[in-house]
Amino acid sequence: MTNQTAFTLALIGYICATGLALAYLVRRDEMIHRLASLATLAGWACHTLGLVVLAVETRRPPLGNLTEAVSAAVWVAVLLEMWLERRHDLKVLGAFVLPVILLLGIKGMAMRVGPDTIGPALASAWIWVHIALALIGIAAFVLNFAGAIMYLLQEHQLKARRPGTFYYRLPDLETLDRLTYRTLVLGFPFLTVALLLGAVWARSAWGSVFTFDPLALFSLVAWGIYAAILAGRATGTWRGRRAAYCAIVGFATLILTLGMGALFPGRHGS
Amino acid sequence: MSLFVSGLSHRNAPVALREQIALEEDKLREILGDVQASGVATEVVVLSTCNRVEVYGVAQVPGEARGAIFRHLCRQRGVNIATVEAGLYTYEEADAVRHAFRVASSLDSMMIGEPQILGQVKDAFALAQACQTVGPALHTLFTQAFAVAKKVRGETEIARHAVSVSFAAVELAKKIFAGLSGRAVLLVGAGKMGELAAKHLVEQGAFPIYVTNRTWSRAQEMARALAGTAVPFDELFSAIDAVDIVITSTGAAEPLVARAKVQGLMHGRRRPLFFIDIAVPRNVEASVNTLDNVYVYDIDDLKSVVDANIRERSREAQRAEGIVEREAAKFLARLRDVEVIPTIVSLRERLEAIRQAEMRKTLTRLPDASPEVREALDALSSAIVNKILHTPITKLRESSRAGAGRSWTALVHELFGLGRTS
Repeated sequence: MTNQTAFTLALIGYICATGLALAYLVRRDEMIHRLASLATLAGWACHTLGLVVLAVETRRPPLGNLTEAVSAAVWVAVLLEMWLERRHDLKVLGAFVLPVILLLGIKGMAMRVGPDTIGPALASAWIWVHIALALIGIAAFVLNFAGAIMYLLQEHQLKARRPGTFYYRLPDLETLDRLTYRTLVLGFPFLTVALLLGAVWARSAWGSVFTFDPLALFSLVAWGIYAAILAGRATGTWRGRRAAYCAIVGFATLILTLGMGALFPGRHGS
Repeated sequence: MSLFVSGLSHRNAPVALREQIALEEDKLREILGDVQASGVATEVVVLSTCNRVEVYGVAQVPGEARGAIFRHLCRQRGVNIATVEAGLYTYEEADAVRHAFRVASSLDSMMIGEPQILGQVKDAFALAQACQTVGPALHTLFTQAFAVAKKVRGETEIARHAVSVSFAAVELAKKIFAGLSGRAVLLVGAGKMGELAAKHLVEQGAFPIYVTNRTWSRAQEMARALAGTAVPFDELFSAIDAVDIVITSTGAAEPLVARAKVQGLMHGRRRPLFFIDIAVPRNVEASVNTLDNVYVYDIDDLKSVVDANIRERSREAQRAEGIVEREAAKFLARLRDVEVIPTIVSLRERLEAIRQAEMRKTLTRLPDASPEVREALDALSSAIVNKILHTPITKLRESSRAGAGRSWTALVHELFGLGRTS
């Protein structure tokens, strides 16, 4: 079995899980939720297998290029989703996280595996740490984004004073606000250290912190947005709705960052 | 013997008629005893609430039993039987099972999902049990009905969303805050509905409670009733600043809570603020709702939430109907299996008795037979009996599932001389 087969199976699992999770949002049927959880777990198991096989085949961590890194980020995000869903008894979480995971997953798994962008000259233990930290940060921000969307939907229902499906299905605002805050606090340090390592390493490899690289520049913008949200929350001026809007902008920038990496191959390659 | 339910309910009979034939417990005892003694029905349970009077029974001729019971009931209450009989509905067998499940699950109630009916059905069943008018059929029916009601309650939300204004306010608070325990509440004014909403919040763990009123003595009085603290009326805004939920129900002609004031309070505040404005005219300016992290619900908003909740309940009721339908089908299948099992057992016993007798006869003629031969004979005869029985037993099971169990059991009893069917 090649890693590609396992990744394809994982993607099929995630597609089923997404469909089922969305169906559960509409029809509150416990059976559908159980099936969705099962599909998620099955997809994730295949995904794990694929990553292991890839690592064995290439004799290096399965993070050799942007595509692989995105795939690994999806793997972490699914793990986080499963954990948070159980932890907070948030059965509707899948309906908001899985679609995003699926979009990233198509990029990370269905595309042809590109060539290694990490040549032997660049290979050092630090590069793997840089990539691993960045992708854990991205995974946390996937959950952060989903939490923000849920918050805004529930907030809108409560402000409009006309309860609809989301009012009944989504949990209370405070729980959702806590979810976005915790995922932000989790993701931010990882992203920060990843960026620092990247900069240090770029200096040692190319002699400058900022050689033109679209991915590096955009991720700096995303970092700035997340830093602003954290600061706003700490002072108490940016709570609730404003923090949620910012989380969405931050995530959009992050996605754009990955898109930049794919469209304009700089140092990070595609 | 067949199962039936007959009666009248809020669906087809006006309250004027229902109240005439509704019965108290001692009257019910009397009727249950008389019905049992008269022998028109072998089992009977009478359910009498303000919304329905129904008789569940097992009888040879359901029509007769139902007539006798309701005649008796009308005589008791001095009601003309003709007026009652016109409005009676009757369900038999599968329909009766379905009806029992729907009633216990609160799907046939005036307010879908109301919780009292299950308790009332349980009481009616317990009373009949005490009067020894419950046999195996009604026992299985009612225990199953209770299980179905529990399942419906657990798997659907028919009983979940508030259908009263004050409870709707509590539910809204629970969509803003993660749990109500330790949330501070301020009650402004002495309206009855405001007090009720405050009580519901306290029941959910809200604490502490502050009360304010233009009349200081009235504030103190209400604070005592709610185990809260009275606050002078001119400290209204500092009190609002200290709490999470504000209930207003004063008779003030002009709004007490202006947008600009609340905007000032919200500056730098981390917690949301929830206004429940039950007063008419309103005590809180409508524009306060436009502030970030502030939620204002006036009486009309709460009413529209209640309407939405009722719509949500009826959507859930459709899912509940599906559960009842499936459970009724399962129950009937099991009932039918139960129906043919005695026949299968006696058929097996009969053939086994014949085999044993023939074995004994043969073995007395063969006193020198070795243990191997005895074993072989035993195996042979058992195999023949089993082979012969296989098709009739399969056919019996199939026929019962197809709903024709009775004629087949009668036939089998006749063919194998098994004695009378029950």
